[in-house]
Formats: sequence, C-alpha cells, structure tokens
Amino acid sequence: MTEVVTEIGGPDVATSGPPARARQVLRTLRSDRPAMAGLVVTVLLILAAVFAPLLAALEGQDTTTFHTQLLDSARGGVPHGALGGVSADHWLGVEPTTGRDLFARALYGARISFTVAFGTLVVQLLLGVAIGLAAGFGGRVADATLGRLIDLSISFPQLMFAIALLAIVPQSFPRPVLLMLVIGLFNWGGTARLTRGQVLSLKTRDYVAAARLSGATPARIARREILPGALPQVLTYAAILLPGNMVSEAGLSFLGVGVHPPTSSWGQMLSTATTWFRADPMYVLVPGLSLLTAVLAFTLLADGIRAALDPKASLRGRR
Amino acid sequence: MMRKVPVLFTAAAVLAAASACSSSGSASSSGSSAFDPKNCQGGTLYILNQDSATDEHFDPARIYTSGGGAVPSLVFRTLTTRKRVPGQAGTTVAPDLATDTGTPSDDAKTWTYHLRDGLKFEDGTPITSKDVKWGVERSFAPELTGGIPYLRDWLVGGADYQGPYKGKELDSIQTPDDKTIIFKLRKPEGDFPYVATATQFAPVPKAKDGGTAFEKHPISSGPYKVQTHVQDKSLTLVRNPNWSRTADDQRLACPDKIEATYGLSSAVINQRLSTSAGKDANAITTDTDLSPAELARISSDPNLKKRTVRGQFGYTNFIAFNTKVKPFDDVRVRQAISYAVNRQAAVNAVGGSSLAAPATTFLPDQAAFGYQPYDAFPAGPTGNVAKAKELLAQAGQSNLTITLGHRNSDSHQDGPAVATAVQEALKQAGITVNLKAYDQASYRSVQTKPATEPGIFLSGWGADWPTGGPFLAPIFDGRQILKDGGNYNFAQYDDPKVNGEFDAINRISDPVQARPRWGALDAELGEQALTVPLFHPIYLRLYGKNVKNTYLDQWRGSYDVAMVSVK
Repeated sequence: MTEVVTEIGGPDVATSGPPARARQVLRTLRSDRPAMAGLVVTVLLILAAVFAPLLAALEGQDTTTFHTQLLDSARGGVPHGALGGVSADHWLGVEPTTGRDLFARALYGARISFTVAFGTLVVQLLLGVAIGLAAGFGGRVADATLGRLIDLSISFPQLMFAIALLAIVPQSFPRPVLLMLVIGLFNWGGTARLTRGQVLSLKTRDYVAAARLSGATPARIARREILPGALPQVLTYAAILLPGNMVSEAGLSFLGVGVHPPTSSWGQMLSTATTWFRADPMYVLVPGLSLLTAVLAFTLLADGIRAALDPKASLRGRR
Repeated sequence: MMRKVPVLFTAAAVLAAASACSSSGSASSSGSSAFDPKNCQGGTLYILNQDSATDEHFDPARIYTSGGGAVPSLVFRTLTTRKRVPGQAGTTVAPDLATDTGTPSDDAKTWTYHLRDGLKFEDGTPITSKDVKWGVERSFAPELTGGIPYLRDWLVGGADYQGPYKGKELDSIQTPDDKTIIFKLRKPEGDFPYVATATQFAPVPKAKDGGTAFEKHPISSGPYKVQTHVQDKSLTLVRNPNWSRTADDQRLACPDKIEATYGLSSAVINQRLSTSAGKDANAITTDTDLSPAELARISSDPNLKKRTVRGQFGYTNFIAFNTKVKPFDDVRVRQAISYAVNRQAAVNAVGGSSLAAPATTFLPDQAAFGYQPYDAFPAGPTGNVAKAKELLAQAGQSNLTITLGHRNSDSHQDGPAVATAVQEALKQAGITVNLKAYDQASYRSVQTKPATEPGIFLSGWGADWPTGGPFLAPIFDGRQILKDGGNYNFAQYDDPKVNGEFDAINRISDPVQARPRWGALDAELGEQALTVPLFHPIYLRLYGKNVKNTYLDQWRGSYDVAMVSVK
C-alpha cells in the first residue's frame, strides 16, 4: 500500500517511504551550517543535562550545599572574588546569599528546562494532532465544533490561566509534570490547526480516494494514509514549538509559579538573579546565556529541518 | 490583647521605619554646610515611597503607628511621643502635648497628664484636654476601624464602648479641667506612656469632626497641615502657621514644604535616591530599605556609601513550633533543631551581616527591650550537628522527616530563601525537611489559627513599642492563646508561673526597672526551645545628597521626617 501511496502522492508527500527523499533531506540539512551548529549544540546540551549528576560530581559540587565562607556577608552576600566567585572548585562561580554552586544548578536547571519542554511537546502533539485529525476528517459538524475549540484555545489568555492554575494545584503534585500539562494544555491550538489544514488538503488526493474505494475504514485511512502525509509538516512545527516551550517554562518559573526551591530551573535562576545584574553579573549571565544558547540552537535546527523538508523554502533561503 | 498587628503590619508600616546612625556609626549629615538646627528652615523635602505613609485612612483614629509614625506625627501631636534623638536614647518616651510622660497612681492603673501651654490647632483654636478625650473616644467608633487594639483592652468600659457620636462618653477618661486628662485602666499597665504616642492620642476638635469625613481635612496640631492628599498617590504638607517651636521641643520641622509620592517600586526608589538628580537630591523614603543586591553595589561606591544610614527596629525572625503537633511536643526534637540551625546561612539568605544580625535570644538585641545575651543551645555560627544528632537519637527520631511552612515570597524574610537555608542546615543533622509554601495573603492567618497552624514554620515578630512586654506577652502568655485566630502564642505555651510574671512586670511603671525582669523572663523561656531565634533584621537606607540630619530613629528604624533638613 505504501508504495502505491508514494507513487500517486506527489513530491511533497514525504512518507516513511523513499530512501532517496530522506537522503536528499539529510543532504540539504547537512549542508546547512547554522542548522548543523544548532544540532551540535543541542546534542551537547542534552548530553550535559542527561549526565548532570556525573558532570557535577566531576566538579565535586551539588546543587543544594551552602558555601557561606565564599560570600562577602557584609556586602549583601555577594560572592568573594572576580566573576561571581569563579574558581577551580566552582567553575561558574556561586550564587549570592547562599553560595550554592552555579555550574551544578545550571546543569540541573537544564534538566528541568528540557524535560518540561519535551514533555510539553508530547502533550501538545497528542492533543493537537488528535483534534486536528478529527476536525479535518470528521465531517462538517465535527470540524465546526472542533474548529471553534481550536480558536478558543489559541485566543485563550494562557499566561493568566496558567498562573492561576499553578497557584491552586496542591504542592504535592510533581511540579515538572504539572508544568508540562499546564503549558501543553494551553498551546496545542497551532498544531491542531496545522494538522487540520494538512488533512483537508490530503483527503482530496487520489490515493486517499483509492484507499476509500478499496474499502478501508475511516480510522485506517486517517492513520495509514493521511497521518503519514501530514507528519513532516507537524514535526517541523513541533521543532519550532520546542524553544517556545522552554521560554514558557522559564517565564512561569520567573514569575514564581514554576518549580519549587531548592530545585533549580533557568527561569527561576533568572528570576532571583535579576536584582543582582549590577552587583554580580555572572549570576544573571549563567542562566541567561544558557537559555539563550538552548533556544537559539533549537531554533536554528528547527529552521534547518523546515528548510530541508520544503524545497521551495530552502531555495529561498539559499539564494 | 496585644494583638500584634505589627508583624503583619510591621513589614508594611514599620519596615518603613529604620533607624539611627549612619554606617559610619553616628548621626550623619552631608552636603555643603553643616547642619544647624537653629538655621535649618526652608526648601521642599520629597518623600519617595512604595506605600502610603499615612495608612489607608489619614485619620488619627484609623492610623496604626509605632511611636507616632514618620509622617503622621508631622500633622498629629500626641500626649507623648518617641524621643527625637539618634541612638538608644531614641527608644524612650518624651512628653509631647503633655508636660511629662504621665503620672501613674493606683498600681499603674490610673494615668494622669497635664497639657502644656500655648497649644493650638491649625485654625488657631486652643487645644484642650477635651479634644484629646474626644480623639481617644472616637477611635472606638465602629466606623473608624484600623487603630490600635490596646485602648479597647485596657480602658475601663472600653470593651463595649461604641464611640462618642451617639452621645455617650467613656467615663474612664476624665477631664477635670481644660489642662488635665486622666485615664483609668482595668489592669496595671506600666507601658501606658508608650501607647500614648499613638495617633489615637491626638486632639480632635469635636466641632470639626465629621466622622469618616474627618480625613478629608484632618485638623492639624503639628508643624504641618495638609494641602492636598490623594490616597495612595501623593501628599503635600505645608507649614501650620499656628505651630511654633516654643510649644514643641520634639520637632525641628525644617522644610517649608513636604511632598510625598506613593506607589513607586523599591528598585525605582533606591535608583532615584542613588542617582540623586534634580528634586531627588532633596528626597528620602520612609518605607524602602536597601536590598542585598543594591547593598552589594552601593558598598563598592564610597559616594553612595556616605549617603546610607543604618538603623534597627526591634524585630526577631524565628522558627516557630506548634507543640501540639508531633514530634514538636518532644522538647528534645525542638532542642535538636535549635542546635542544628545554621544562623550564618540564614543571615546570608536575607542579605548578609549588614542587613541582619544572628539571634540567639527572642528579645531584640537592644537595651530598651531588656535584652540580656544568652544562648540556650550553643550552635555556633553554623550549627552543632553532633549535638543535634545525639538529641534526635535520644528522642528516637534519627530518621526524622518534617514539613517546614514558609511564605511564598521573601518580602517578609520568612520566604523560600530562609526556608532553603534552614532545610540545608537540618539536612546535615539527618533531618529531611520538606518545604510548604503558603500564599502571601493567607500566611499570617494560617499561622495564627491553632487549627490550621503548621507544626514548624518561619515567622517573625516586632513590637508596637520598644519594651519587653509587647514583645514577649503575645508569644508566651498562656492567656493570650486565641483559638479562633489572631493567636501569636504559636507554641500554645501556658505556664501559670510565667503568666504571673507578666502581670508582675506590667505593674512596673519605670521601664528601666522592668528591663532586667523582661530579660530574665526571656532567658527562662529560651530554655524551653519554644522558638528558634534566627536573626534580627537591620535596616539600611539611602537619602538624597542635599538631605541633612538624616538619622534613623532606633524606635522604628525609620527616618524621622520631623528632624531632617534640605537646606
């Protein structure tokens, strides 16, 4: 069936199928230097987050131990020494007023940022694709109803609602999971709309008609014929959502409704660091640059993938 | 009872206070010429504040102040007031409208005051003792809420009195002539002169009193009168022509005009004061301290450092135990936590040694409170882990897990920063601490209701006036355990012997004699490990470069606006 599909499908339908197409995409991606840089940095950051305990052990520090002797207590608790107390023991210095190690806290913060960003993405994709598929494939009434639901989700004042929700949920609920749910539940509208558009355009294709005539059930057609066709676009969109999710997590943590102390996240670190930007710039730079680097790397990578999957866009980009 | 609004209130109103001595240790003045009280008049002083300096209602019945307040005492003179001098002497009471701080009789249950000569309202009418009586009486009116609770508790017949507007007088306030006023209390209260500094003791002319409308044009008895006032936004004070220094030795009233702006953020206030450009050179703040980060920056700038003053308001931040909750009913567990605590980490969490001093006593480290140094559970600066573990083993609690309650913001220094410092310290002693953050708005009510009170939590206490009584009684007097809320006896500690000692000390009308008794009582209570004192906050404030005589008074830890000059 798949082979038939590709033959009829036309060039822009990259299904699981043709190795030639995949090779071409990879080739395009490989020659895209910003995207490759993004990929390398992303992989490095993810490895750093995964191996955070190892790296922190290598440095000989953890995220919670206070080092009061490293602070100038009379000067507001700012770290002794240059660059916020950077030393052989503390590679990125220590946090003002506590003396906790910034390298370890930033590493563990990356874990929160990535976990929440990816977890949120899963929620968004599951919801967005399911609802988009149902809207595009389910007939006029379903489309009208779900279409309004999508509109509602997109126009919803997400931030306000997220803050309210995060404030009332019991503290015993695991915070990162809650963040995934809250950010995910409010940000699936784009995915759903994109999926619906793809479905609407794909379901008029001849190969779908052929499948229908051959007696395939609507569920099977949706799953086997349409979803594979829509997936590349959706995945590209997902790659763009990812850095957005990281920023959302950071934003909520910055506003004080994110992870609880003593857990660190980049947003929470930035939040406590803001008042210190003149007295101890390093404290702001560590989480700030971490977030900037991660978001930039993800964005470059996502942009590269999109360009590689869309020949027209890549031509434009390459001009 | 002495329902201490302070803490709640303290942070808002009293934080506003900060006290004497510049960082160099003495009352400071800067600018081109030296400060001369005889020749300091002129100019406009600007006040940059986060919140209104006169509470929610600019009415002497409704303002809750300690020592008369910073701005309220410019408009409302009171029977007594805090002594306007820098340093420890500033924690004592001075006569204001009265000729002395009060004559006690009948075992400190009757207090008599005589008014001094030449007192006038802003319209030129003479001030009589009847005006003072009216001022106190109207604070009982149900529509004029917000004032201090002590009058209702202390004055004979106060509990049921509903104010003078319906024609009923409070018989326990007597005015035998225009110069004399006598207060009859239902129990001995040696601290009465301290309470007589509150704005409820300001004279209010009955003829000009429109009840809740009085705040639209509060009649001044002080050096300034209100020109314009927009609640929570701005206030402009101009000279009261009927006030003179000859009838007031507690206020210099140097500036010709005072303009206050409210609703600014703390960062903006400190930035404007440090830049000190244009009008801000003549500016101070009565409610904004330096944050740790601002302190770190300012301490490396000698010019800014010169314009910083340091002061204290008697306040203690502590770990509170609810002894009705297991395992805190076991004194060994409480002692173990007292030993395990790392005060240096707690001090650093709120900005280091310039902004807080480690505390081992419940009473603040100032003589006025009766402070006597003691350390019932010597933990050193960073904690005595071995001793803590030993006690836990004795109590059979070697693998203890507890939940520490704290506020969800660091604004009152009982938030996540201090909580994580305590958590980390107790971890060293093998105690696993989970943190439970309470909403900013509800934290105080959760703590003060025994039914909802956590077993262990961060709290703080400041007194309405600088003596031992209002500091210790609400926390440790067993008769002040309030089941329905508003309870500050967090440990729910009730010892008849201790209660009796409170009564005995309240009979002493000489504060200096009462001090050693308060200090001894504090040390005795400290042995019970009912609280773990963590630190006493210190206030640092900036002022504009033209401002002179800028000490922070030690009563409230705030600039005394009545004493600063911009000339």
